[in-house]
Amino acid sequence: MAEPARTFRAKPDRPAPAQTVGAVGWMRRNLFSSPANTALTLIGAYFAYWVIATVVDWALLDAVWQAETRRECLDAVGRSGACWPGVFVWFENLIYGLYPKDQIWRVNAGFALLVAWLVPLWLERVRSKVAIGVSAVLAYPVLASYFFLGGDKGFLWSASIAAALTAFVWVWATAIAERRTGRTLGELVLARADALDADPRHHRRLLFYTAAAGWLVAYALVALWYLPYVTTNDWGGLFLTLVISGIGITFSLPAGVVLALGRRSELPVIRLICTVFIELFRSVPLITILFMFTTMLPLFLPVGVEVDQLVRAIVAVCLFASAYMAEVVRGGLQAIPRGQYEAAAAMGLGYWQATRLIVMPQALKIMIPTIVSTFIGFFKDTTLVSIIGLFDLLNMARAIGEDTDWLGLFIEPFFVVTLIYFAFCFAMSQYSLNLERRLDTGQRS
Amino acid sequence: MLAIPRRRAPRRGWAAFVNNAQVRGVVYQVATAGLLVALIWWFAANAAANMAERGMSAGFDFLGVAAGFGISFTLIPYQEGDTYFRVFLVGIANTLLVAVIAVVAASLLGLVVGLARLSDNWLIRTLARAYVEVLRNTPLLLQIIAWFFGVFNLLPRPRQSVEWFGLFALNNRGFYMPAPVPEAGFGLVLVALVAGVAGAVALARWARRRQERTGEPFPAIPAGAALIVGAPVVAYILLGGPLAWDLPALAGFNYQGGMSVPPSFCALVVALAVYTSCFIAEIVRSGIQSVGKGQHEAAASLNIKPSWTMRLIILPQALRVIIPPLISQYLNITKNSSLAIAVGFPDLVSVWMNTSLNQSGQAISIVAMTMAFYCAASLSVSALLNAYNRRVMLKER
Repeated sequence: MAEPARTFRAKPDRPAPAQTVGAVGWMRRNLFSSPANTALTLIGAYFAYWVIATVVDWALLDAVWQAETRRECLDAVGRSGACWPGVFVWFENLIYGLYPKDQIWRVNAGFALLVAWLVPLWLERVRSKVAIGVSAVLAYPVLASYFFLGGDKGFLWSASIAAALTAFVWVWATAIAERRTGRTLGELVLARADALDADPRHHRRLLFYTAAAGWLVAYALVALWYLPYVTTNDWGGLFLTLVISGIGITFSLPAGVVLALGRRSELPVIRLICTVFIELFRSVPLITILFMFTTMLPLFLPVGVEVDQLVRAIVAVCLFASAYMAEVVRGGLQAIPRGQYEAAAAMGLGYWQATRLIVMPQALKIMIPTIVSTFIGFFKDTTLVSIIGLFDLLNMARAIGEDTDWLGLFIEPFFVVTLIYFAFCFAMSQYSLNLERRLDTGQRS
Repeated sequence: MLAIPRRRAPRRGWAAFVNNAQVRGVVYQVATAGLLVALIWWFAANAAANMAERGMSAGFDFLGVAAGFGISFTLIPYQEGDTYFRVFLVGIANTLLVAVIAVVAASLLGLVVGLARLSDNWLIRTLARAYVEVLRNTPLLLQIIAWFFGVFNLLPRPRQSVEWFGLFALNNRGFYMPAPVPEAGFGLVLVALVAGVAGAVALARWARRRQERTGEPFPAIPAGAALIVGAPVVAYILLGGPLAWDLPALAGFNYQGGMSVPPSFCALVVALAVYTSCFIAEIVRSGIQSVGKGQHEAAASLNIKPSWTMRLIILPQALRVIIPPLISQYLNITKNSSLAIAVGFPDLVSVWMNTSLNQSGQAISIVAMTMAFYCAASLSVSALLNAYNRRVMLKER
């Protein structure tokens, strides 16, 4: 006689207490977990409310949107509301400086060209990304500087512009070719000429002729192309800030890599020179370097040679930035275990091959967050050129308050400029976080 | 068995010579050094030619010449007509004053914000994050100028100034505070202070030795603090208060008496402290987070009091991570104080590299002296830092 099987049957779970789940539970855990925390929350909430309410009242609700002079604003609302018309009137100057109004399209075109040049880097199935990146660093500045500067050009200048133009056409042709067919532009050209089976020397000659033909066409176009000259004294605003920081950032990475390798070199003279350079430029403030270059560069160049103020500032920023970048890269190099070098040597790679293929990619990858935050630092540091009299974004904002119509209008332009800087820096830092996540191969625990 | 191929005999002659790593090293180094020397020589020749053309002379003779300009704020006494060397010293003193005050303020603010970033309270955490993100993503120079034009310049005139307890006053001419005026016998108070500090150090040593020997703890920190504060206070009371205060008072159009700092100084210090506090907050946060969770758990399982856990287990390990970047932030404050020139505060760069350079025209000497000061500051701090790193480095076995 079998006993009926008695199996354990759990009662259904009761729902969690209402106070511990959902929004209420979250608030009890995160905002009101103890009397002290409750007090902090209340103080914090009041503070946040006060800040947001003050800014919204000032910038939106109490603000004046139409006026001819600052006096009208002051008569209307006093200091309790922002006076935006001054910023509107000056907005074009904030972005482009004193660049001639009818030529502003050139600045826009120059930056659009940069975007167009870099777009293939984000496209999938494009293989020659390294070459495209290098061409952007080497060729884009030539083309951009003619867009921004203009003026007459000699043979050498025209030749380099034509080369840069050819490079740009190559970037897009190769990007399209690789996306469509999966083959590089070179292979396509060779296939077209039925020369794929010919010997490599023939290949090289054919590709060279193709490039030369492209360059000749470009040269003919460039010769017909003329843009009026715009002196760098008229450059200013966000445009100038981007030019200086762009050049500084682009220059600093390769120069920093070279300096960092030099500082770790086994050759004592080279190590000494690199160390002294890095330590000297890192231990003094940027402003002293800028002053040094503005006052001493004319002294150290041959008698009668004049150097543009902007060029002096850019040289100073570049040297300063490369010293900082060198230390960042060195930090990355130090983090690479010895085994990597030894493994590379065991595979028969020489110093440069090991550095280029094994060490540097790893070192740069782990330093991406630091590199980007250094870039952000450089971008912020370009404001210092305003002290030596260049009209960058910050100095332009300050100039508004010295305009007779808008005398004393400082807070509003500074507010706008702060937003612009914040947008750029925050975007960069978020992009670096994103990049870090994507490139993380999970080797670090 | 596999036959091991014989190594080819080493190449001789030119090819071997050119491919020898040592030979190449020497050649590269000689070439680099030669290029550098040539460059420097070229610069020097140009400089000589330029200076001859402009009738300038290099050297440091101008240091003894009287400087014909006044300085709006000086920490050490200076008057128009003092030598250029005095101007240099005034600049250094002003720079150091800004740096020291900003370092203290930034550390305190950064500590608070860094702990707030780690708070259990979501709102506090978020507010701290917003503070850090907004302030470190905008340029310091912009912040200095905004504090100057947007806050300290818009303060009321002296007659309507903001006053606290009749002791401190803030207006658009600056910040006013009482100045201590030592009287006879005040030196003894200072002696008492020094004695208190010495006593506290000795007490701490004795307490540590006793704890190592017997395990008996002794509250050395509160006792030492009591000694340092108590000794001068007792001396002060016994001597009948040999210190008077010179209070600032409104006289005519401005305050007279007391100590004061100009608005440019306030803007500079506040901006430097606020800006750097963001970086310090992140350093504090990452330092505390770098101490493994296991350390908390191990301390708890050994039944160590929470307050001791922080002081004896977490903090010593976190400090090892925190101190080096913290010191480099302090150096950054010193370097960034050179932005004083944008608001017209007479720091080293403004008074020396700008005014004196324009007045005397001695570009090379002045630039060299300025750079020497900053280099000396930064190199001595990094030497200290290296010594500290060696001391606290993980002793791994």
